[in-house]
Amino acid sequence: MSDVPFILALQPRTSHGLGAQTKLRHEVMTVLSLFSLLWACIVFLWSAPAFASSDYHEQLFLQPFPQSSLLASFNFRSNTSQASFDNQHFRYFPRALGQILQHANTKELHLRFTTGRWDADSWGPRPWNGSKEGGTGVELWAWIDAPNDDEAFAKWITLTQSLSGLFCASLNFVDSTKTTRPVVSFEPTGDHPESSNLHLLHGALPGEVVCTENLTPFLKLLPCKGKTGISTLFDGHKLFDAAWQSMSVDVRPICTRQGDCTIQIEQTVDMVLDIERSKRPRSNPIPRPVPNEQLVCDTSKPYNSEDTCYPLEKVTEKDWSLSEVFGRPLNGICPLADSDGSAEYPVCIRVPHERGIFYTEGTKEFKLDDGFTRCFDLDPSKPFDLAIPEQPINIQAPLDEPILHAERTIVGHGQERGGMRIIFENPSPTAAVDFIYFESLPWFLRPYIHTLQATITGRDGLRREIPASDLVSETIFRPAIDRERGTQLELALSVPAASTVTLTYDFEKAILRYTEYPPDANRGFNVAPAVIRILNGVDSSPIYIRSTSLLLPLPTPDFSMPYNVIILTSTVIALGFGTIFNILVRRVVLVEEAEALGSQTIKGRILGKVLALRGKFGRKETKVE
Amino acid sequence: MALKSAIRDLRNKPDLLFLRLPNLVSLVCIVVGVVWLLLLPLNEYSRRTYISENALLPGQVHAYFTGSEQNIFRGYKREIEGLLNEGAEPPARREDTTLNPTYVEQQDSRMAYMVDVANMSTEYPKKLRSILQVAGLKVATQKYEYTSAGITHQGENVYGIIHAPRGDATEAIVLVAAWRTADDELNLNGVTLALTLARYFRRWSLWSKDIIFLFTPDSKSGTQAWVDAYHDLHPASVQPLPLKSGALQGAVVIEYPFEHRFHSLHIVYDGVNGQLPNLDLFNTAVAIASGQMGIGANLQEMWDHNDSYEARLQTILRGMAKQGLGYATGAHSSFMPYHIDAITLQPKGQGWEDEMALGRTIESLCRSLNNLLEHLHQSFFFYLLMESQRFVSIGTYLPSAMLIAGNFTIMAIALWMRTGYHLRSAPSEPRTPQKEQNPAPVTEKTEQTARISGPPVVERLLALPLTLVTGLHLLGLVPLWTLNTLSHQFFTSVTYTFVVVDVVLPLVLAALLSNGLGLFSPIVPQQYLLIKSFSLLLLGLCLSTLATLNFSLSFIIGLLCAPLSFIGRLQGLSAPLRYGLAVFGLVLLNLLSPPTILLGACWYFGVSVETVLTQAAFGWDVWGMWTQVVVWCVWWPAWLIGCVLLGSSVF
Repeated sequence: MSDVPFILALQPRTSHGLGAQTKLRHEVMTVLSLFSLLWACIVFLWSAPAFASSDYHEQLFLQPFPQSSLLASFNFRSNTSQASFDNQHFRYFPRALGQILQHANTKELHLRFTTGRWDADSWGPRPWNGSKEGGTGVELWAWIDAPNDDEAFAKWITLTQSLSGLFCASLNFVDSTKTTRPVVSFEPTGDHPESSNLHLLHGALPGEVVCTENLTPFLKLLPCKGKTGISTLFDGHKLFDAAWQSMSVDVRPICTRQGDCTIQIEQTVDMVLDIERSKRPRSNPIPRPVPNEQLVCDTSKPYNSEDTCYPLEKVTEKDWSLSEVFGRPLNGICPLADSDGSAEYPVCIRVPHERGIFYTEGTKEFKLDDGFTRCFDLDPSKPFDLAIPEQPINIQAPLDEPILHAERTIVGHGQERGGMRIIFENPSPTAAVDFIYFESLPWFLRPYIHTLQATITGRDGLRREIPASDLVSETIFRPAIDRERGTQLELALSVPAASTVTLTYDFEKAILRYTEYPPDANRGFNVAPAVIRILNGVDSSPIYIRSTSLLLPLPTPDFSMPYNVIILTSTVIALGFGTIFNILVRRVVLVEEAEALGSQTIKGRILGKVLALRGKFGRKETKVE
Repeated sequence: MALKSAIRDLRNKPDLLFLRLPNLVSLVCIVVGVVWLLLLPLNEYSRRTYISENALLPGQVHAYFTGSEQNIFRGYKREIEGLLNEGAEPPARREDTTLNPTYVEQQDSRMAYMVDVANMSTEYPKKLRSILQVAGLKVATQKYEYTSAGITHQGENVYGIIHAPRGDATEAIVLVAAWRTADDELNLNGVTLALTLARYFRRWSLWSKDIIFLFTPDSKSGTQAWVDAYHDLHPASVQPLPLKSGALQGAVVIEYPFEHRFHSLHIVYDGVNGQLPNLDLFNTAVAIASGQMGIGANLQEMWDHNDSYEARLQTILRGMAKQGLGYATGAHSSFMPYHIDAITLQPKGQGWEDEMALGRTIESLCRSLNNLLEHLHQSFFFYLLMESQRFVSIGTYLPSAMLIAGNFTIMAIALWMRTGYHLRSAPSEPRTPQKEQNPAPVTEKTEQTARISGPPVVERLLALPLTLVTGLHLLGLVPLWTLNTLSHQFFTSVTYTFVVVDVVLPLVLAALLSNGLGLFSPIVPQQYLLIKSFSLLLLGLCLSTLATLNFSLSFIIGLLCAPLSFIGRLQGLSAPLRYGLAVFGLVLLNLLSPPTILLGACWYFGVSVETVLTQAAFGWDVWGMWTQVVVWCVWWPAWLIGCVLLGSSVF
C-alpha cells in the first residue's frame, strides 16, 4: 500500500470513496518508479494551493412534460487550476481534450451535438436558456489566441481536425467555406486576460448525424466514464431514440479578482424522451396495436361498444421509472463527485410536491421551497431507482412561455431562385424583444440583401409592410466568395410586443461544378440553422434559440442520363436544323440565274472574269491540240 | 448515282417538288404518326414497369395497422357521423351547386355566388383539430377563398404535422383526405382513416420525414390553396400557413367514399397540364397494393382490363384524353406543378377488402417514401401507362406527336420555297436562245442543268401575310379573356356566339382580303401561300414544342388541325365547282372548329357546356391550367386562317 499516502496527498480536501482509490490506483501504477514518485511529490509541493479548486460535480435533472415526455438533463462539471492545466497535470480534466486545446491555442471552446427539434409549444423554454444546445448536427465555436487572422485560422483547422478524431465526427469538413467569424452573436463566457488577442471562429455541420459513435468518446471524457454515477443511464438505444437530444462540451477559464484562474469543463447531455416509446421493452419495440381489452375508451360516448372506441388520451400521467425509461437503474454515485458542502444533489426532479414518488431505500429526499423541485441524496453503495405512479393530471409544474418563437423556411420553388422567410413571434403582451439574428449561408446560396423586406402583424391581426430598417438597428454582412467562404449575416432586430415579424429575402442558387457534388445520395444541401441571441438586459445571461436547418435543393445533373441525352439531341438537332436552315437560306436556282445573280456582286464579277479567262485559255489549249 | 439523278430529276420538275411531294410527305407523316401510336400497345414497343429507385423497397416491411385500430376507426367515424346527424352540414355539401347550374336562374346575376365549400359553421375544422391535437400532432388551419367565373369557392383546410422524432424538419410526406372526393362524394371513411392513421403513425419513431395530414373541404381548391401557401406563392385571398415543415417529397390522397368493402384500388396519377408523378411512385403503389396486400390495382377507370391489345390501347387513349385536357383529376394534381409526386388511391368495386387493408397499403407506401434518400428522380416523368405494369416512355411515343407536328413544318417550308418561284403550267420548256449564246462559264455540271429553264425568282410580299397571321393569333386572346373572365351563366351563349363568329369571320376576312376594300392593294395569289406558310410554320413550331411538355395535347390538336395542311385557296377550277367545293370544305372545317368540337364533345359525354367551361375557367384561375391558351392562341388562329384561305376561293 505504498500508494496510499500518495493518494491522500493528491486529495488534500477529499478523503472519501473507495472507488476513487481504485480508480486512481490505475493512474498511479503507471508512474510507480521512484523517480516519478519524487517528481510527483515535487509537483505536489509546488502546486498544492492550486488543487483547492480541482473538483467535480454531476447532476441529473428530470422534468416530465405534458404529452408523456420527459426532459432529462445531465450535467458534469469539473475544474482544474490554470497552473496544473498548463503543466499538463490533468486529474478530472480529460487529458485528450486538454492537450488538443493547448496545441491549438484555444482558450475557450464550445462544442455541440444536437438532433431533433425543441418543441417550444409543448416543452416551454429551452434548458439552460438554450446556451447549452446547438443547431441540428454539430456546431463548434472557439476563441483562439493568435496574433493575426491567418494564424488563428490555421490553429482553428488544427482544432477541428483534432476534435474530429477525438469525437468521431466529420468536424474536419469545417473548412473556410463553413467557418464564420461572428461579431455580435457570441461573447466569451469565461474570463480572459485583456492582453490576449482572441479570435472567435464558428463552424457548423448541419448534415452531421449524431450517433453512438459520438457518445462513446463523450463518455470517455468523464471521470467515471459511465461506470458509476448518473452517466450509467446513458444507453445508446434510449438516448438516440429521444425526440430531442443535445450533447455539449464547454471549456472556459474562470478567474477570481485576485487573478487565480481555473479551467472549467462542463459537459451536458439534455434529452427529451417519449416516455411511452422509451418504456417499450427492447425485445418488442414495435408499437403494434394494443389488444382490444387494453384500449382506453371514452365510455361516455353513446356509441361506445366492444368494437367501437373513441380513444381517451392523456387523462392520467403515465407511470414511469428510471429503469424503465433508461433501460437500467442508476448505479450509485460517482465517488469522485464532490457532494459535500454544496447544494448540488446528484438527482433532482421537478414535479409538484403533491405527487408521490417512490425511490430506493437509503435515499434522502429534499423538497425545495419552490413547491415543485425535489432532490435526492443517494446511497453511494446501492443502485438507485425512482418511480412515479400513474396519477391523474391535476397539477403540472408550470412551464414558462418562451420569450420568442422563430421559424425559418425556404419558399418558392424551382431550380434557379428561392426565397427565405423568417418569422419571429413575440408572445409577450407588454415587452419588446431585442435580439441578434445570425445566419451563415453556404456560398452556393446567394442572398440578395436588397430584397430584404419586413412584414409586421400587430395585435389587430393586420399584415403591414414596413421598411426593414424600422426593425433592424444594425446589420453586419460579410458577402460570400465563391468556393472560399460563405455569407455571414448578423442583424440586430427588435420585435414589438404581441407582434409577429416576417422577414423575407430572395436568393439565387449557384450551379456547382460536377466534382463539387458530394458522392452521397443527393438529398439536397443543408443550410446551417440560424442562431438567435436574445438580449434581455445587460447583466443576465443571454438566451439562445436556434432555428431548424434547411434543405436546399440545387440544380443537380443526373450525371449519366443528361450526358447521353444532350449528345443525342445535339446531334439530331444539328442534323435537322442544318438541313432546314440550308433549305431556308439557300435559293434553289438554275445555273443561268445563278450567273445572272452572281454577276451583280463584286466578288461575282471578279470570279466571272477569272472563269471567262480560264475558259478562253482552256479553249485555246484545245485549239492547239 | 441513282439518288443524284433522282434529285436532279426533282429539280427539273418543280411542280412535283413544290406541289405533290410536300402533300405526300405530310400525309405520310400524319399516317405514320397515328400508326406509331397504334403500335405502342404491342409487346415489342412497350416495357414492363420496374422500380428504379432501389431505396423505395416497396412492400418489404410488415404493415401493422390492424386489430384494435379498427375500433378506433369506428369510434372516430361515429364521432364525425354524430356531427352529421346533429345537422351540421358536411363541409362541402353545398359545393354540389357549384357545378350544377340549376340555381343560376333564380339568382341575381350580379351577386357573387357564395358557394359554401367549407360550410360556414366551424364544427368540422374544430373537431378535426381536437382529434389531431389529442393524438399529439401540431395542428393549424388555413382559410382560403377563390373566385372564378363568378363563383366564390371558400373553405378551411385543417392540417396536422407529425414531427419526425429525430428529424430536422427538412423533408415531409403529405397524406391528404378531402371531405369531398374528386367525384364529389362525401369521403367520410377516407377522412376517418386519415385520422386513425395519424394517431397510429404518431407512435412510430422510425419516421425520417415529417408526415403532414391535410384535410381539405374539397378536392379542387383546398390542396391548391394549401400547396401554394406552403411555397409562399398564394394569392391574397388565401391565408398563409402558420405551420410548416420541410421540402415535400411525396403526397398520397386517400379516398373512401362508400360504406361497403371494396375490390380493387384505382390509382389516379394525372396532374394539371398533363404533368405526371414519377413512375416510381405509381409503381410502388401498384407493387404494394397488388404484391404485398393482394389488392388489384386499376388505372384510367379500366375496371376489367384483360391485357388485350384493345384494352391497352383504350387505357392509353383515356390517359391521353386526361393528359390532353390538362385538368386536375383529383386532390393530388395540385402538387405536381411544384415537382411533388402525388397520387390518389380510390377503392372501387364490391369485394372483401376493408378500410384497414387500405390503411395498411398507405402505411406501407409511407414507409417506402420514408426510405427515400433523395427526391424521386430515378424513374420516368413522361410515360403512357397501358396497364398497371406496362408502359411506354417518352423516347418511344414522342415521335408520333412529333411527326404530326412535323407535317405542318414540312408543308410550311415547301410553301415558302414555292412562293419564291413563278410556277408554270408546263414544266419543261425549250431552251431559250439566250442561254445558248451565253458563252460564260460552261462546266459540265451547269451544262446539264441549264437544259431546262427554271422559274424566275420572284420577290416575296411579306407585310400583309405577317400582319394577318400575327393579328389573328393575337385575336385568340379575345376568346381566352372572355371565357376566363365572364360569369358562368353566360358561357353557353358565348359558346354559341363563337360558333356563329367562326362561320362569319372567315368569310368576312376572305372578302376583305380579296377585294382590299380600298384600304390596301388587292392580295396576290402568292400572299395566300405565304399566309398559309406562316400559319403552318407557327402551328408546327408550337405543337412540336408542346409535344415535349404535353404529348397528348399536342397529338390531339395536331390531328384536329391535320386538314389545314391540305386546304388552301382553290384555283383553276370552274366557278360552280369551286364554289361548291369551297362551301363544302367550309362546312367540314366548321365542324372541326374549337367551339363545335367543344359542343360535340359535351353532347357526346352528356355534360353541359357551362360545366366544362366553368371548370376550365376555374383551372385557369386556380390551377394554372394552360389548355385554353393552346386552344385559343394556337389551334383557333390556325383554324381561322385555314377557313379564310378556303373562303377566299369564293371571292
